[in-house]
Amino acid sequence: MALAIPAELESKIDEVITHYPVSKRSAVLPLLHLMQHQFRFISDEIVNWVAAKLSLEPIQVLEVVTFYPGFRQTAPGKYHIRVCRTLSCAMAGSYELMDSLCQAAKIDRSHVDHHHPIAVSEDGKYSIEFAECLASCGFGPVCMVEDDFFEKVEPAKAGELLARYSA
Amino acid sequence: MVQDLSTLTAFIDGEPMRFNDGDTVLKFIDRHRGRGHVPTLCDAPQLEPYGACRVCSVEVAMQEDGPRRVVASCHTPLTAGMHVFTESPKIRKLRRNIVELVLTDHPLDCLTCEVSGNCELQTVAAKVGIRQVRYPSGANHLNRSKDRSHPYMTSELSKCINCSRCVRACDEVQGQHVLSMHGRGFNARIIKGLDQSFMDSTCVSCGACSQACPTSAISDVFFSKSIEATRKTRTVCTYCGVGCNLNVATKGSEVLSIQAPTDSEVNHSHTCLKGRYAFKFVKHPDRLRKPLIRYNGHFTEATWEEAYDYIAKNLQRIKEEHGGNAVGGISSARCTNEENYLMQKFIRVGFGTNNIDACARVCHSPTAWGMQKAFGTGAATNSIEDLEYTNCILITGANPTEGHPVTGSKIKQRVMKGVPLIVIDPREIELVPYAKHHLQLRPGTNVALLDMFAYYILEAGLIDQDFIKKRCENWEEFEQGLRNLNLDESERTHGVPREKVRAAAIEYASAKGAMAFHGLGVTEHSHGSKTVMTIADIAMMTGNIGRPGVGVLPLRGQNNVQGAADMGCQPHQGAGYLQVNDEANHKLYEEFYGAHMSNEIGWKIPQMYDAALAGKLKALWIMGEDVVQTDPNTEHVKSALNALEFLVVQELFMTPTAEFADVVLPAASFLEKSGTFTNGERRVQRVNAVIPPIPGTKSDGQIVCDIMQRMGIPQADYTPDGVLAEIARIVPFFKGATWENLTDQGTQWPIKEGGIGTEILHVDSFKRGLGKFHFFRFQESKEIEKHHDEFPFILTTGRILEHYNCGTMTRRTGNAQIVTEDLLAIHPDDAAKKGIESGDMVRIFSNRGEVNMKAKISTEVKPGILYTTFHFPENLVNMVTSSECDEDTMCPEYKVVAVDVEKVPASSMPKKQRMMEIA
Ligand code: SF4
Ligand code: SF4
Ligand code: SF4
Ligand code: FES
Ligand code: FES
Repeated sequence: MALAIPAELESKIDEVITHYPVSKRSAVLPLLHLMQHQFRFISDEIVNWVAAKLSLEPIQVLEVVTFYPGFRQTAPGKYHIRVCRTLSCAMAGSYELMDSLCQAAKIDRSHVDHHHPIAVSEDGKYSIEFAECLASCGFGPVCMVEDDFFEKVEPAKAGELLARYSA
Repeated sequence: MVQDLSTLTAFIDGEPMRFNDGDTVLKFIDRHRGRGHVPTLCDAPQLEPYGACRVCSVEVAMQEDGPRRVVASCHTPLTAGMHVFTESPKIRKLRRNIVELVLTDHPLDCLTCEVSGNCELQTVAAKVGIRQVRYPSGANHLNRSKDRSHPYMTSELSKCINCSRCVRACDEVQGQHVLSMHGRGFNARIIKGLDQSFMDSTCVSCGACSQACPTSAISDVFFSKSIEATRKTRTVCTYCGVGCNLNVATKGSEVLSIQAPTDSEVNHSHTCLKGRYAFKFVKHPDRLRKPLIRYNGHFTEATWEEAYDYIAKNLQRIKEEHGGNAVGGISSARCTNEENYLMQKFIRVGFGTNNIDACARVCHSPTAWGMQKAFGTGAATNSIEDLEYTNCILITGANPTEGHPVTGSKIKQRVMKGVPLIVIDPREIELVPYAKHHLQLRPGTNVALLDMFAYYILEAGLIDQDFIKKRCENWEEFEQGLRNLNLDESERTHGVPREKVRAAAIEYASAKGAMAFHGLGVTEHSHGSKTVMTIADIAMMTGNIGRPGVGVLPLRGQNNVQGAADMGCQPHQGAGYLQVNDEANHKLYEEFYGAHMSNEIGWKIPQMYDAALAGKLKALWIMGEDVVQTDPNTEHVKSALNALEFLVVQELFMTPTAEFADVVLPAASFLEKSGTFTNGERRVQRVNAVIPPIPGTKSDGQIVCDIMQRMGIPQADYTPDGVLAEIARIVPFFKGATWENLTDQGTQWPIKEGGIGTEILHVDSFKRGLGKFHFFRFQESKEIEKHHDEFPFILTTGRILEHYNCGTMTRRTGNAQIVTEDLLAIHPDDAAKKGIESGDMVRIFSNRGEVNMKAKISTEVKPGILYTTFHFPENLVNMVTSSECDEDTMCPEYKVVAVDVEKVPASSMPKKQRMMEIA
């Protein structure tokens, strides 16, 4: 199935490329952000499309995708949750938070490993992964649901938090 | 830049030493203390400094007892007065610890590892003094699976130390971008393509990664790195005109593996898969091992003596009955200079005829002819090395990444570094995505396009007045021709929008130095020679001749196509390009050979076929060429061979041409003989036998010497240096060549006294005095004029990386597993109209014949154009190609054939194609 790129996105992409007159290769990162925003994750198809767009080999895009944990290679749920696990948050209870979020969202994290960091709930509604420092270390544990930011999240209130994203 | 000597000193462990501008700390140490004094893992001579492993750490200070800092020497620039400490206790400890950490994640099965004894990690571990690893085993990557998907490339990434040498080799040496590091930190691992196997990735099996990898993590099925051979012999690849140097490891008469020497000027530690891996044909069971004589229609094995007697008797008889002109020879661009020289000598001296030609006829004869007309010398004006200095690259009708892979890689590397590339080709070749301009013309309209190209240079005022005035002649006529061009008509003819042509022309003409490469897409046309001359015009009008980074460079197809012509395997010129019908030359040759010789121009290959059919040519001697499969219009060739009274073929295998022979002589391959090849940049290089001829065979050179002796023509036995010495006495531009002074690197002709070569031709003046402009107006090919209405598609042919010509050799190697058939490329619009889908069997037909092959739907061709390769003779695409040829040289028009195409109904599909035997 061919990748359907909305015209608006493509013109945005074309515009972004003009910011890098010396080497189009530099546009890989911004393009990947745009694509992830649109398609929620970076599939091989997207890698190929971005490579063709920038006259690169697919692997030159894939290496960037895999270098940054912020790029997802598998489909997340409708609401994607990222729990900070860096030191301050870890000490403030991020592992407990992770457990209770998983429980509330019915997510099984037992298959997660370095290459597959994201776990998705059975109904596909939620997905979750650990993230590195989200830059609010004084207020751990910290997590994000999509682009919304939450500080001092008590593990016990995981259910309440998810209830906001039930649509 | 003049440097104050005192500023070029730095210190190694307290000792003052001179360094070179641009040195890294490591280069400086390597030069004075020898490579290996400082251990390295991620550094390799063929790659850019990287600085990943830190094993090469040293301490540096700006004063002898000033504060010291630890740096990775491989990527740290040296500065004047720097003190470098290579062996301090701190450094030793650091290095030991780094290597120890590497070893915690490395399987300790050295004893059974394929590279044991030749492993850089092992060497470095020993050097830094590791006896045991102190760390307990923890998380590791020891269980990665092996990749055995590919006939040549292998990987076992549990042995990987993440040095990225393979990735950089693939990027910086080959330019294929197959490999990369996936993820980061502890999770980083090497992947191929989108995490595929070697076989499924876009890998072209060049082996650069395998040669670069310090361990056995990436290797090949021949264990090339590990070979503890009894002998390594340096020789030259036989598969194309690049002329890569090879280091061949052998044990007894067994060829074990091939690697590229790092010091080779031609290929700098690189090769393509043909040079490195396609050598298994050597001992293939199909090799001919005994002379064969045809009695009553059947081949019978014979001894060499019987075969020679039989040949001598028949040739003698034919000469007596029909005269020497009834005999002809076809020499081979695959064979050495010495063999080609002997072959033409045999025919010319033995029969007093000039009926000698070579397969250059069917590829680059228009180059030789056209460039001689324009410049006076039918050879590349510059060297491949000039790519380093050029500011613009123009490629017309050539596909270097497939046809001349190592040059293709070099071009790609330069283009990736920003040198603008212009591609003139009907097809979207691999380099097109890298090109700034692609002029996708209709096949057969090169002259129309190049005229327009020249016109726009003139219009933009970008001509080099000075060069034209001082160095050239006939400019006025050329200029007039350009000014009279009808641009509308040209545009309609070649089909490229004029603005595109103009932009490309301006790019070329405004570059400080521009190089023009061309290939068979230029020559194999009815106006091949004219196209060559027009390319020469364009180079001259912009002053792109006679200095570094410019020139006209034909990409010569076969390994020694340059040499075959140099040695006189042409019916109009003898050894050294002396015209045979010139009185002075004729006298010179007669005196030199002490024999009666002909001063009439002989027959070219296609004329030989006609003469055979007319009963005028009775005997033909073919050395190492499969004309049935590779010359156009197969049926015509076959009937010509049938019409001969006597045909002798020297061959490695029983080819379809050999099937027609009266005597087949089993020859030795390039790995089994010595001599010289001349590559596409006029570089005469030594070919050294790496094994003796396989039992029963003889080198082509020895065979020709034997038969000359048998027929009473004075000739000593074959020795490469002996024949070379004779060549040096008659070929003016080989004057200074001796076996010794050619050295390992070879020498570019003209070779002056003392073995001094010439890198750039026509520096102060042209060989012919003034460079001559020629203007030609486009003329439609007769093929199109005659047949286009009935056969509306244009079929054009080319080659792929994996196979060589009709595949006689490459198809008897693992290459056959990589590419198993020829495919017909057809544009999606045409395919839709004809109801053809990818993978369908289609019938291509012309008024001469038809072939069936599988279709591949692709936008690499424009609508109306079909494209295929010709490596699999079961398709015999040459059945449909025409007898049209270049008007000047009779080089056949392989690139333009009027055909039609249709889908083959499933029921009439041919029986399953014969499975190929693989060595
Ligand atoms: S063999 Fe050549 S093309 Fe293939 S991965 Fe290695 S370097 Fe790249
Ligand atoms: S495969 Fe070899 S060259 Fe590539 S990173 Fe691993 S050890 Fe280095
Ligand atoms: S590029 Fe040509 S000469 Fe070099 S290895 Fe390949 S086929 Fe041989
Ligand atoms: S450690 Fe969690 S936000 Fe910084
Ligand atoms: S050799 Fe210098 S860092 Fe690896």
